[in-house]
Amino acid sequence: MTATSIIPPGAADEDRRELVRLTTDLLGRHSGTEHLRERLDAGQAHDPRLWARLAEAGLVSALVPEEHGGAGLDPSYVSGVLHELGRHATPEPFLETAVVAVTLLAGSTDTAYAGPWLERITAGEVLVAVRLGGLTPHVVHAADADLLLDVADDGTVRAHDASDLEVQELAALDALRPLALVRPGTDGVLLAVPPAVVERARLLAVAGAACLLAGATRALLDQTVDYVTVRHQFGRPVGSFQAVKHAAADMAVMSEMTTSAALGALDAVEVSTPEDARRRAWAAKAYAGDAAARANVSALQLHGGIGFTWEYHLHLWLKRVMSLAASYGTTSALRRELARELVDRQRERRG
Amino acid sequence: MSDHLATQDDVDAFRAEVRAWLAEHVPAEPLPAWTSREGFDLHRAWERTLFDGGWAAVDWPREYGGRDAGLRRSIAFAEEYYRAGAPERINMGGLYLLGPVLMQHGTPEQCARWIPDVLSCRTIWCQGFSEPGSGSDLASLSTRADLDGDHFVVNGQKIWTSMGAFADWIFALVRTDREAGRARKHDGITFLCIDLRSPGVEVRPLAMVDGTEGFAEVYFTDVRVPVTQVVGEVGQGWRVAMSTLGFERGAVFGDHAKFSADVDALASVVEHRGLADDTQALDELGRVLVETEVYRANVYRLAALAEAGGNLDSTASINKVFWTQMQHDIFDTGLRLMQEDAAVVGDPAALGDAPPGTRRAWADWHHRYWYARAAMIFGGTNEIQRNIISERVLGLPLEPRPS
Ligand SMILES: Cc1cc2nc3c(=O)[nH]c(=O)nc-3n(C[C@H](O)[C@H](O)[C@H](O)COP(=O)(O)OP(=O)(O)OC[C@H]3O[C@@H](n4cnc5c(N)ncnc54)[C@H](O)[C@@H]3O)c2cc1C
Repeated sequence: MTATSIIPPGAADEDRRELVRLTTDLLGRHSGTEHLRERLDAGQAHDPRLWARLAEAGLVSALVPEEHGGAGLDPSYVSGVLHELGRHATPEPFLETAVVAVTLLAGSTDTAYAGPWLERITAGEVLVAVRLGGLTPHVVHAADADLLLDVADDGTVRAHDASDLEVQELAALDALRPLALVRPGTDGVLLAVPPAVVERARLLAVAGAACLLAGATRALLDQTVDYVTVRHQFGRPVGSFQAVKHAAADMAVMSEMTTSAALGALDAVEVSTPEDARRRAWAAKAYAGDAAARANVSALQLHGGIGFTWEYHLHLWLKRVMSLAASYGTTSALRRELARELVDRQRERRG
Repeated sequence: MSDHLATQDDVDAFRAEVRAWLAEHVPAEPLPAWTSREGFDLHRAWERTLFDGGWAAVDWPREYGGRDAGLRRSIAFAEEYYRAGAPERINMGGLYLLGPVLMQHGTPEQCARWIPDVLSCRTIWCQGFSEPGSGSDLASLSTRADLDGDHFVVNGQKIWTSMGAFADWIFALVRTDREAGRARKHDGITFLCIDLRSPGVEVRPLAMVDGTEGFAEVYFTDVRVPVTQVVGEVGQGWRVAMSTLGFERGAVFGDHAKFSADVDALASVVEHRGLADDTQALDELGRVLVETEVYRANVYRLAALAEAGGNLDSTASINKVFWTQMQHDIFDTGLRLMQEDAAVVGDPAALGDAPPGTRRAWADWHHRYWYARAAMIFGGTNEIQRNIISERVLGLPLEPRPS
């Protein structure tokens, strides 16, 4: 593995650093490239054994309130965890179940309905898929889900259990991030969730996706650095050619900036005003999508032919970043929305 | 008021104090650009006002006129400063280069002699590193200083010296040991402070690409400089100098607010050019807005790391490449949004009934556009930064070097 001097996520805080260490260790042992290959060959992304480990380690329930068996942490604690999941391209609906769904359920005033689901999430027994209106027309891991939380653009939240869902799987670009169109059979259960909680769940989805992308971009960088260090041509490592080095340096700039923006956006959900937190989440995801797309191009280019083979594992990350970039708000859509809001704000400021 | 442990309340109170002071003191009309003698003198007077208010360098230690404010308060100061539309700082070299170098490497006498006037801008210092033959390859520099009793005798030339035409003193890198330099070019270099009024110094102003002044070449012919004006040890100037370059590359904590203000001005431009519903214009505005938000997040993250005692050395080059590209993107985007009017320098009429702030921003836009171009060159070009990132941060193999 690479020995870069890039500062790891969570470095400024001991508790967060510990969570990151725990995640890195677990994923290093159970979600390496062998695992990804095995899931790919099995034609089934989700692995109940891995999910059980994530639950046992307390990661799945990190944000679940203590009265439902979780650690009751605030979301900023899981930014580094998401970054690691992205770096390992772990094919599990952690963002959806452990972050977005937990936020909606924990914030719902229908405790009689939400409580038992939270407890089952804590136990690692269930997966929850989420649909966030226009942000996610395609539902990720829908076929594996025991519950769908369907959040309309107007903020209404309906819960449907698996038996109520018609799931039409799509030919996903990233087979380890399965997508589906979902049609509920009934109106499901109307879940009372205050608007502020719905908004928060949206922010967490967008900022969380940025964290996953930051990790995946970092993986593209690390693999590229490793490869160009060992691959020799013209009697020297290709990584000693300046054109190669500068492309790698640009990847490092983008990877670092994505990480700062993504981790910061999750912090902001807790400490900033809702408007500021939203701006930061949108910006983080917009940047992450664009940076990952450029890192994707450089990573394959710098790998040459080997990167183009199915057998070599680079493509798992190439597709992961493409899939994530297309979900939870595309770069163009988020940029335009932010721009429109800024123009309006400037107009208002002048009265 | 211990710096590291500033609570949110401390920071908020500090911010309010800063805001109140700025509201009272920031000139209502922006000063003319500092790249003319008149503009420079007005900026110098403003620095004096800041100094008298105790705001010239909030992060500096109290004994030198700072406030020991720590990172979080310093960021708050900078955010308020740029939000208030206060004048550009002409003293960045003193605040972030010379001052810290003296505090770190200077003798007590040197600190007492030079630092107070750095902060008040009674003395304006310029940086004499680059030479005609030594830009990126700075260590190849050949301006020589030969020992003669208790003086060095300096001969040679410096170039592209920012503010050289307005400065009183120069801190320069000179070669004091050519023998050592032949073995290893970084050796035998000395960090020397020179009074520009010394006999044998000639400052020739150089006009910049946009015609403005402020740039200079500095010639030295048998200039006698007391050895007491060496900072750090003789022959160790490279190390001393490198401790200052971090500033040009690293985050000047808080300057994100300046870029956000520029993007606000761009939003007004979009509206006043009738582009508020133009998807492509919104894409462009959105892109630079996103970049400034990302940069802000990076400033906060680096500040948190620094507060936790982390070493930020590996981040300086990454940060420099990003902020200089972002800055260029902002000003370049502005020119694109102004369409045909981009070919006319700073004509506020091009913005019709836009608010005064936007018209003022536009009047200065080309000038700042050129500065944005320069920032990708000075402080170590972005290509040099990419070399540093790839070799020292990513650990990629060195390029075969000519011996
Ligand atoms: C506005 C402005 C203000 C400045 N102010 C000061 C000042 O106050 N004091 C001072 O001392 N200097 C100052 N400089 C000088 C600045 O530091 C130098 O211009 C800079 O270090 C580059 O040196 P150079 O101009 O000789 O370019 P060169 O080194 O000749 O470079 C030319 C091109 O070659 C590339 N290049 C060179 N070496 C390599 C390499 N190893 N790998 C890849 N590419 C390479 C460069 O990136 C550049 O694109 C200023 C410059 C500007 C533009």
